[in-house]
Amino acid sequence: MEARTPMQTLARGMRMLLALVALLLVVWSVVHVGARELGRAQEAWSDTRTELTILHWGDNAEIEIVDSLVRAFEAENPDIRINRLHASDYDTKLNTMFAAGTPPDLFYLSADNMSKMAGLGLLHSLDDLVQDDIAATGEDWLADFFPVLLDTFRFDGTTQGAGPLYGVAKDMTPMVMYANLDLFRRADVEVPYDGWTWDEFDVAMERISALDDPGGKVYGSVVASWPAVLRQTLWTYGGDYFNGSDFGDVTLDEPEAMAALQRIRDMRFGNEANGVPITSYNATSGDSQGLGEQEFYTGRVGVVGPIGRWRTPRFRDIRGFDWDVVPFPHGAGIEPATALATVSWSMSVNTRHPEKAFRLLKFLAGPEGQKLTAASGLAVPCARSVANSELFLQSDQRPKNSKLFVELMETARVGQMPPQAEFGRILNEEVEQAIRLDNQSIAVAAEAVERRWLAELESPLRNDAFPKMPWLTVGAITTGGLAVAVIGLVLWLRREKLGAIDRAQERAGWTFISPWILGFLLLTFGPMLISLLLSVSRWTSMQPLAEAEFVGFGNFAHLFQYDESFAKSLWVTTYYALLAVPVGQVFALLVAVLMNQKVRGIAVYRTIFFVPSVVSGVALATLWVMMFDNDKGIINRILDPILGVVGLNAPDWFGTDAEVFAIPAYVIMALWGVGAGMVIYLAGLKGIPPSLYESARIDGANRVHQFFKITIPMLSPLIFFNLVMGIIGSFQVFTQVYVMTGGGPGNATLVYVLKLYREAFEYHKMGYASAMAWILFIVLLLTLGVVRSSKSWVHYEGLK
Amino acid sequence: MSASPPASNAPATPRRRRIGLDGHTAFVYALLIVGATVLLIPFYWMLTNSLKTESGASLIPPTLLPLATYVEVEGQELEVALSEKDDAAGTIRVTVEAGDDHPMTGKSFVVDQADVVERVTPRWSNYPESLERMDFANALANTTIITLACVIGQVLSSSLVGFGFSRFRFRGRNFLFILMLSTMMLPPQVSMIPLFIGFRYLGMIDSFWPLILPMWLGSPFYVFMFRQFFTQVPEELVEAARIDGATNLRIYWQIMLPLSQPVIAIVAIYTFMFTWNDFLGPLIYLNSPENRTLTLALNAFNGNYGVSDVQLLMAASFVTMLPCIVLFFAAQRYFMDTGASSGLKG
Repeated sequence: MEARTPMQTLARGMRMLLALVALLLVVWSVVHVGARELGRAQEAWSDTRTELTILHWGDNAEIEIVDSLVRAFEAENPDIRINRLHASDYDTKLNTMFAAGTPPDLFYLSADNMSKMAGLGLLHSLDDLVQDDIAATGEDWLADFFPVLLDTFRFDGTTQGAGPLYGVAKDMTPMVMYANLDLFRRADVEVPYDGWTWDEFDVAMERISALDDPGGKVYGSVVASWPAVLRQTLWTYGGDYFNGSDFGDVTLDEPEAMAALQRIRDMRFGNEANGVPITSYNATSGDSQGLGEQEFYTGRVGVVGPIGRWRTPRFRDIRGFDWDVVPFPHGAGIEPATALATVSWSMSVNTRHPEKAFRLLKFLAGPEGQKLTAASGLAVPCARSVANSELFLQSDQRPKNSKLFVELMETARVGQMPPQAEFGRILNEEVEQAIRLDNQSIAVAAEAVERRWLAELESPLRNDAFPKMPWLTVGAITTGGLAVAVIGLVLWLRREKLGAIDRAQERAGWTFISPWILGFLLLTFGPMLISLLLSVSRWTSMQPLAEAEFVGFGNFAHLFQYDESFAKSLWVTTYYALLAVPVGQVFALLVAVLMNQKVRGIAVYRTIFFVPSVVSGVALATLWVMMFDNDKGIINRILDPILGVVGLNAPDWFGTDAEVFAIPAYVIMALWGVGAGMVIYLAGLKGIPPSLYESARIDGANRVHQFFKITIPMLSPLIFFNLVMGIIGSFQVFTQVYVMTGGGPGNATLVYVLKLYREAFEYHKMGYASAMAWILFIVLLLTLGVVRSSKSWVHYEGLK
Repeated sequence: MSASPPASNAPATPRRRRIGLDGHTAFVYALLIVGATVLLIPFYWMLTNSLKTESGASLIPPTLLPLATYVEVEGQELEVALSEKDDAAGTIRVTVEAGDDHPMTGKSFVVDQADVVERVTPRWSNYPESLERMDFANALANTTIITLACVIGQVLSSSLVGFGFSRFRFRGRNFLFILMLSTMMLPPQVSMIPLFIGFRYLGMIDSFWPLILPMWLGSPFYVFMFRQFFTQVPEELVEAARIDGATNLRIYWQIMLPLSQPVIAIVAIYTFMFTWNDFLGPLIYLNSPENRTLTLALNAFNGNYGVSDVQLLMAASFVTMLPCIVLFFAAQRYFMDTGASSGLKG
């Protein structure tokens, strides 16, 4: 044993310490999870109470509300135990719980999603339960509710507002604007407590935008434009998405709707022809729903909206300025319009205890729940008596104008959405192109929405009747095929007699590889077979598999003829692959050559270059969104002065330039992890005999020649390997996009797997998604086939 | 190729000492320094933002350090927010933000611009706050258990299968081996939906099993690495053991596994990284909040109304990725030596 240097001893000590920490972590985790699972099992065993599962969303204040209600209910009802689940990524969670066949008994359901869920037959009708309850108690607790709230959660199969009741509103809010009173005062603008027209709004916005502030530019407004609130702007111009409740008649191309959209676009981007200056902050990064509130918080935005009551508790933390709520503007001569957002407690159709679940629902949405909601300030209570009481109005707290929420209930209404969830997606994708990215005109966007929506409605896949999947026949054929294969295999193995040693070898070999054989059959072959069958079927994962219908190539026909975002997602993914694979490989190779230089301290640099590749995924997604932000991000802060030299501006990566630059931004992110490919090339470089370079030098070859004539050919097998893996990986990019941009803005980042995931787990179209998976497989196979056929440049002697 | 692990550690050429830098070396250093700086920026940005206040993290333009502004009021220096800058008068409005308990908090007045001082003020309290928000202990325990089970399963199963493919002659071996390699090209999305249905029928949704079990059945790439390594083990070693009466399993356990330490390390580390950072799997299969993994807990910061409290998310992200970085430093030699390549060559 040679003597150790102090550094080595230190490193050894560190490693020992690390191992100890890891060991302790493992032991603690096992104990922690073990104790938890044991506790649960014991509870389930000893607890004879009926268990009801509920799912809700919300911040800590809301969690506290639901939790205290649940405790109070459990105390009153000793026969029921509540399993309260909370999710921030709510829609995903609810969808997977339904897809898994384990939906919660009660759950939050926003009014926009109600018709979709009811249309899929997932909701339990509440009318009988309400009637029974009235008969039993002699009082109608729903009589105190604002009537519009009850109607909102009725659905007769085509329109909202009539038919069975599918939920009881737990709270609601009309959409208002939050105004920074200090900015109004400084700009000498009267606060429009009694409403304002769009012309008055424009004057106010221009004045506020002209103010100065040490923190940065002051904006008149941030106008939210996600589909549910965008509609409010349309209403104030007398326009709408549809002609009444005729969902086949899209009216976005009517002058009223176009004028409303044009207004939002012009406020954000300005319009020299009409003399409209930029007065509205176009907060383009990140999730479209969070826009504007952060900017308002900084005190440099005059008004933000339309948003609901839910921001009130958070804005109460604002100390730098005074604020209040005001109505949303309206067109001259047009009645003010207010959109209503409301969320219900709804019941799953699969609940095994409808009476007990309804008892809980009544408690959660009833007087107790309404009072707690009022006190929290998060939403407006649904019961008129509570909404008009000091419990909600809270005159000692901001906003002073809280009664506005109650007054607006006179006219507030819920915009009806078609039961097909695709409309919201199509609308958002096309309209965002126009009003957030300024990529296409309003007219083109309106035309595209109509075209895509009508295609969706007209698809045979949606309208035609199909026979049930012949699962019995399929099962019989599969079983028969497998039996033939197994018998054939056995016969083949028996064909030649083997000696004892060979037989032992054979048996041992098959035994050792049996885990993979099992894995291949269960995780690859079987699922692929099922996936192939699903790809020719129409099946909603809410139903049993027996309900699947055989549609032949219907899914494929729909993909290619009726779903424009499919082609878009193929293009986005191809765009990514075309950039990421070559650029990534060139960088990895160059960095590996750099790392192979024999200079002092190279080990440290190797570490630095490699570290980024070991962290990935969710932990970094938001970081990159922040770094790429046009205003708040560091990347453009560095790039702008550099590009400024040649008179260019850095792109607004995920903002207005997203159509072209969002995908390159993801490529840059991927390049950060260049170390993973680099380390493979580095190992290859070390394997190249130095004698080759020696003789090249003697022949007078310079470094560049050596690189192209020796290094590249010698590394070619590794380049080929990395190329194949890179292509596979780039076609499957998902996590970053799902977390960072969710396919938007517009559909600039709608990568293929994200679309596939949505079809499967948001719209529950498992057959459709399986068809997409098979297309991906075939595209990948073809691509790899092309890469393989051009393999003449690969020199295998390099690795011998 | 030959089994060369120890050889590559020895310096290939004697190091030449130089007094000045020649052009080439200077160029290399310039590239190294620029590259390293660029690559470290994201880490820096994460760290600095994790120490800012929420409004500090949303400043336009952004600040490089977590800064706060202070004004001296009645002999006491208090943290303030700025607004209404008036350059003509040289004044600015400040609003005291000295914490919820302080009597001056919320008071607002106009002061001279020169009286406002700016200082670096890291908010270390973001860390405990964010860990509490994401229920860190629970998520950490879940992630540790899943990761551990996956790493053990992956190493054992892949090495077993690799052993089978490398040291035994059986009919169909080559066909199966090529079949296995070609499955690497399959996008996992093809089997994702049927697998989900399958686990649903087994009643395993909302448990760790769907995440762990597949890892116990070998992964083609890792099987490939083990097979390449085992093929290089000299036959005499195995023969000698066999003459001593060792069974196949024993040869695997007592000769092959101990020899393949570098491959085990690489497989274990890559499996660790993958499982620790996996998002889609837990997203689909886990429902209950107490079963959440770290990645799911992190994603919970992206709430229904967008990301609020970005600084807490940054702190949580930093803590979550720390184990990966620590593991990397501990196992660095395996990454940088021949381990990774030994499976790929040949």
